[in-house]
Amino acid sequence: MSIATVALVSIGAHPASGRARRAEQDARAVELGLELAGDNLHVLHAGNPHEPALRAYLGMGLDELHVLEQPDGADVVPVLRDYIREAGVQLVLTGSQAETGEGSGMLPYLLAEQLGWPLLVGVAQIESIHSGVAQVLQALPRGQRRRLQVRLPFVITVDNAAPKARQSAYGPATRGLINADVVEVTVDELSTTGVLQPAKPRPKRLKVIKAKSAADRMKAATAKAAGGSGQVLKGVSAEEGAQAILKLLIEEGVVR
Amino acid sequence: MLTIVLPILLFAALVLALIGAIRRMNMWRRGRPAKVDLLGGLLAMPKRYMVDLHHVVARDKYMANTHVATAGGFVLAAVLAILVHGLGLHNRILGYALLFATALMFVGALFVFKRRLNPPSRLSKGPWMRLPKSLLAFSVSFFILTLPVAGLLPEGFGGWVLAAILAVGVLWGVSELFFGMTWGGPMNHAFAGALHLAWHRRAERFGGGRSTGLKPLDLNDRAAPLGVEKPEDFTWNQLLGFDACVQCGKCEAACPAFAAGQPLNPKKLIQDMVVGLAGGTDAHFAGSPYPGKPIGEHGGNPHQPIVNGLVDADTLWSCTTCRACVEECPMMIEHVDAIVDMRRFLTLEKGATPNNGAQVLDNLIATDNPGGFAPGGRMNWAADLNLDLMRDKPSVDVLFWVGDGAFDMRNQRTLRAFVKVLKAARINFAVLGLEERDSGDVARRLGDEATFQALATRNIQTLAQYRFTRIVTCDPHSFHVLKNEYGAFGGDYLVQHHSTYMAELIDAGLLNLAADTGGSVTYHDPCYLGRYNGEYEAPRAVLRALGIEVKEMQRSGFRSRCCGGGGGAPITDIPGKQRIPDMRMDDIRETGAERVAVGCPQCTVMLEGVVEPRPLIKDIAELVAEALIEDAPSTRSTRREAPEVIA
Amino acid sequence: MSDIIRRDPRAEWIARNRLHPLHAAMQPHQLSWMGPNGVLRKNVHGVGFIGPNGIKRIDRSGVQQGGSSKRAASTQEQRVLHQVPAPAFYIGVVPDMVGGRLSSHDRDLLGLARQLAGSDGAVLAVVFGESKETAFATAGVDRLLLLDSEGYAPEQQVLELRAVDNQFAPRHWLLPDSRSGGAELGRRFAASLGERPATRVWQVKDGACVGRAGAGLQDVAQPLPRLILAAAECAEPVSETRHEALEVQLSTAIASCLPRIEDLGAVAVDPAAIPMAEAEFILSGGNGIKDWGLFHKAAVALGATEGASRVAVDDGFMARERQVGASGVWVTARVYVAVGISGAIQHLQGIGACDKVVAINLDPGCDMIKRADLSVIGDGTAVLEALIVAVDNWRNASSGGAGLLANQATRSA
Repeated sequence: MSIATVALVSIGAHPASGRARRAEQDARAVELGLELAGDNLHVLHAGNPHEPALRAYLGMGLDELHVLEQPDGADVVPVLRDYIREAGVQLVLTGSQAETGEGSGMLPYLLAEQLGWPLLVGVAQIESIHSGVAQVLQALPRGQRRRLQVRLPFVITVDNAAPKARQSAYGPATRGLINADVVEVTVDELSTTGVLQPAKPRPKRLKVIKAKSAADRMKAATAKAAGGSGQVLKGVSAEEGAQAILKLLIEEGVVR
Repeated sequence: MLTIVLPILLFAALVLALIGAIRRMNMWRRGRPAKVDLLGGLLAMPKRYMVDLHHVVARDKYMANTHVATAGGFVLAAVLAILVHGLGLHNRILGYALLFATALMFVGALFVFKRRLNPPSRLSKGPWMRLPKSLLAFSVSFFILTLPVAGLLPEGFGGWVLAAILAVGVLWGVSELFFGMTWGGPMNHAFAGALHLAWHRRAERFGGGRSTGLKPLDLNDRAAPLGVEKPEDFTWNQLLGFDACVQCGKCEAACPAFAAGQPLNPKKLIQDMVVGLAGGTDAHFAGSPYPGKPIGEHGGNPHQPIVNGLVDADTLWSCTTCRACVEECPMMIEHVDAIVDMRRFLTLEKGATPNNGAQVLDNLIATDNPGGFAPGGRMNWAADLNLDLMRDKPSVDVLFWVGDGAFDMRNQRTLRAFVKVLKAARINFAVLGLEERDSGDVARRLGDEATFQALATRNIQTLAQYRFTRIVTCDPHSFHVLKNEYGAFGGDYLVQHHSTYMAELIDAGLLNLAADTGGSVTYHDPCYLGRYNGEYEAPRAVLRALGIEVKEMQRSGFRSRCCGGGGGAPITDIPGKQRIPDMRMDDIRETGAERVAVGCPQCTVMLEGVVEPRPLIKDIAELVAEALIEDAPSTRSTRREAPEVIA
Repeated sequence: MSDIIRRDPRAEWIARNRLHPLHAAMQPHQLSWMGPNGVLRKNVHGVGFIGPNGIKRIDRSGVQQGGSSKRAASTQEQRVLHQVPAPAFYIGVVPDMVGGRLSSHDRDLLGLARQLAGSDGAVLAVVFGESKETAFATAGVDRLLLLDSEGYAPEQQVLELRAVDNQFAPRHWLLPDSRSGGAELGRRFAASLGERPATRVWQVKDGACVGRAGAGLQDVAQPLPRLILAAAECAEPVSETRHEALEVQLSTAIASCLPRIEDLGAVAVDPAAIPMAEAEFILSGGNGIKDWGLFHKAAVALGATEGASRVAVDDGFMARERQVGASGVWVTARVYVAVGISGAIQHLQGIGACDKVVAINLDPGCDMIKRADLSVIGDGTAVLEALIVAVDNWRNASSGGAGLLANQATRSA
């Protein structure tokens, strides 16, 4: 039994250069879809069908990619919802967060809410789908996993815990077809209220010492700076060394 | 009786050989078309054989002389035997000539025989063990047969017994040497080899030329395959080239990957291509296998995919593209071209670049450098050097091509040292700064021709905006690509490696150098500087100018062993029994030198990756910069050692 | 602590000076109070101090005011109690409560909530499931709503949050934009309310907020919406005031929904199998490791993910995907322990993003030690062995009083 599966993809941006590319998480969603549905996977993008970076998804071995053509700043949720409803899709795969624009990560939630489907977030693996019931592994922080069971149809988001996307090859990327549909445009409100600006670097939080008295302030001011070269324990016994290390590990909360 | 049997035997063998030749040619013609000067090649062939090929073979005097005697004797004997015994021209002078030729061949064959008594492991066994005996049988049979012609023995000597023995000898000899020549026996190398020399895909290599740049794929031609999937996807003259292999194993002996126990043996690879060309399995291969892969499990035919049929992908990805095999091959077979062709298919069509390959290629596409660093950080290494940018200074003598080493903290030391040298010589130079992109070397060796061409065309566009006399770079890989591979895309420049340029500066007296005092030095030839571009002398000249006497390694110059860093090998990272840089470091240690001079960021990284204690690794630019004597106090400010820039 | 009593003239002075901000903290413990029946009760044990000979001394001269025997405890200053008897509005906060405790992210969020609440508003913390936290008051919680929740039930939690929303109508909802649940719950809640949240917010100022956008190369600035998913370190945690943390109840019963997502429970994951780029704590071995069995044992004992230097990988002791460095994995661990790694430049590049680096090495001059925050010069084998023992001891000791030890550790920092 093959399950009608669609992977939603967006145009990504490389974190170092900002150049358009296939979005990392969306590519992982496609990878998950290819493993699950093989050639039957349907890949859908809402936006500009002429963006060259879209071809990187085709390079993963897809024959075609469907695009709902929209200008920048249009709301993609209504068109995706309508498309998915009409297409008889049972499983929607998508990345957790877009790499361009606001990247609020709300799309899968809104889509699931409007479709009335359950949503599983941060899925690492789809273990099985039998008679409409799927068992999936959800990724938790620090590499932990949780097993969930859900009935079709549903929406899945993947993040970096999902299997790495296969390489995008040039040949299939140039041969693949991009089918574009023109759809109704709903303007997204953020384009009127929010302002996108270059990211400001966030300095590391300093350890602020709340000093209520002059003496405390003096102590804080003269304390050894946190940076600089570290502490070197030389000529100590292994036990003392181990204690010092353990103390640091406990302070950092990594040993529990 | 023999006078009747002999012509029949000879002509039957010749006719069979002719049929075999046509059959063989049809096999080659399964390949794709190639632009070759058919007639001109044939005319040039004797010279290519006598001069260029002999030049390679003559590196091994024993084998060269043996081959001259055997092959020369055989060719002469064959022609004369056809005249004398085939056409019955029983002329005394011809008889003596044939006696001489067979004697010469006999002597040569004896040496071949002696070599085969205890053959080195690189030589293939199997039918090749039979060849000296066939040669002896041929030469002895015809020698005795010709004695009556020369009048040294009476006609009919020895009676029918001898006649029968001789007939058997002749039958053996001509089947191996005439008919076996075109039906796939060991002597196939003579037939295919001659035509391979005539229609070689790199005719520029002959007559002292050099042709090392990879041939571009035409990406605009949608019908052309992207690389090589099946044997028939090679061009026909490539297939012919594979067929010319003599299985001498010189490539195997030179291959760093083979020595490191990685699953690559260039000889076996070429023979596998021959298997693919003819169809069958590798069970009859009688040489060393790919390390760790037993013989007899692989097979294929011209219409089947090569990878996972004939060879495994990790065999192709083990290659460091160091060109040692091509340099050693007496048949001038192009192993590296074939490997890259097959890699192209894997990368461009299958998306199967192993390990970090896919990530590196993605990085190259998205950030123009293999490490995925923010492109804006490309000039961080020179933040305090006040380098001129081409954008501000559109006409200079020297364009300093920095390369991706700009992102590597170790290589930044080399770059800064070279800048110091340039400043000391008061050279009018500038860098491209943020406009520079990766040269595309790694992408191309990993088979990603599309990314290479994208990078190359954009770099060429950038370079076209500026005027400069020459490009100088510290990276032999960029050097090679800019010099030899950008030409196909319209980028023709005078490109120099920094060692060549520094040698010129020293010759011109622009550098005031003190003698080096740091201890003994050996020099490691980078493949892309040496074998790819023939520059062996300039780095040594620079070292001499520093008063350094280079303690040469046994494998140096054109025999230099690869550091293991080329061809994307550190990225694809195919496991072996040992590491290539460790083996190279053993070569270095053998010289007892305290330092090793290098001229390549890849070599530096690979050799410095060897666990200490080991000799110090210094780029030539660093050695020169250390020896600089700066005269005028006004230049003092540039002399101060600036702190390392941490990207 | 030594038994020798040291007088602290300054503490005594503060104890006498009623205008000093620390005056209250320096007062000896209350010795007498009025009992419920109007009888004066005295704590006789609180009087006096133990003298150097172990004999209890009572000094009634008044000189000894500032130094009671509980002096160590009394340095804990008393924070000002902030009360909001009749909140003009609420700021709703749903902390992650990882392990039943407020995480540092939660505390930052409560700090932000406090800023938004000002003096009239009240911070309402909605806590799902069992809570082990005792410090809601000092974290800035004015009202506390404890709701039952078991396992992974985000859909039920959204229903409950909607009920809270109906009853308290908070001016803002704050949730941590974290992988520990807040990001998911917040977005589900937003989708359910049909409101657009501000996500990855790292600054809130003057009615506007700034959050990271896209792949992190851009920020989005917008007027402060009602729903805020804030990043870690979005604000300073509350540090100067105490709060009531009054428990409140929901007035209506929550309709329970039929769960569409069934939680089948956690799956055991081998720490060694965690991808290195994700790992928070890495124990990395290099050429200096002689006993790899011990190394693996140490990694298990510490609960660390294993890493390796290139040499260790090349020599076949570790798998290639465990290689840390420029040509291997670029790690982002908070703590990176390098054993027997001298620190080639490529390796140091790969650990550039690590917060704390610990080096164990024989060579005090190696580059890794220059990079490390803490270095132990010594034999890796011996130190690892000692470390395994030390961790075991600590675990045994802390199974009873983990909080105490952890507390001690932070204080000595």
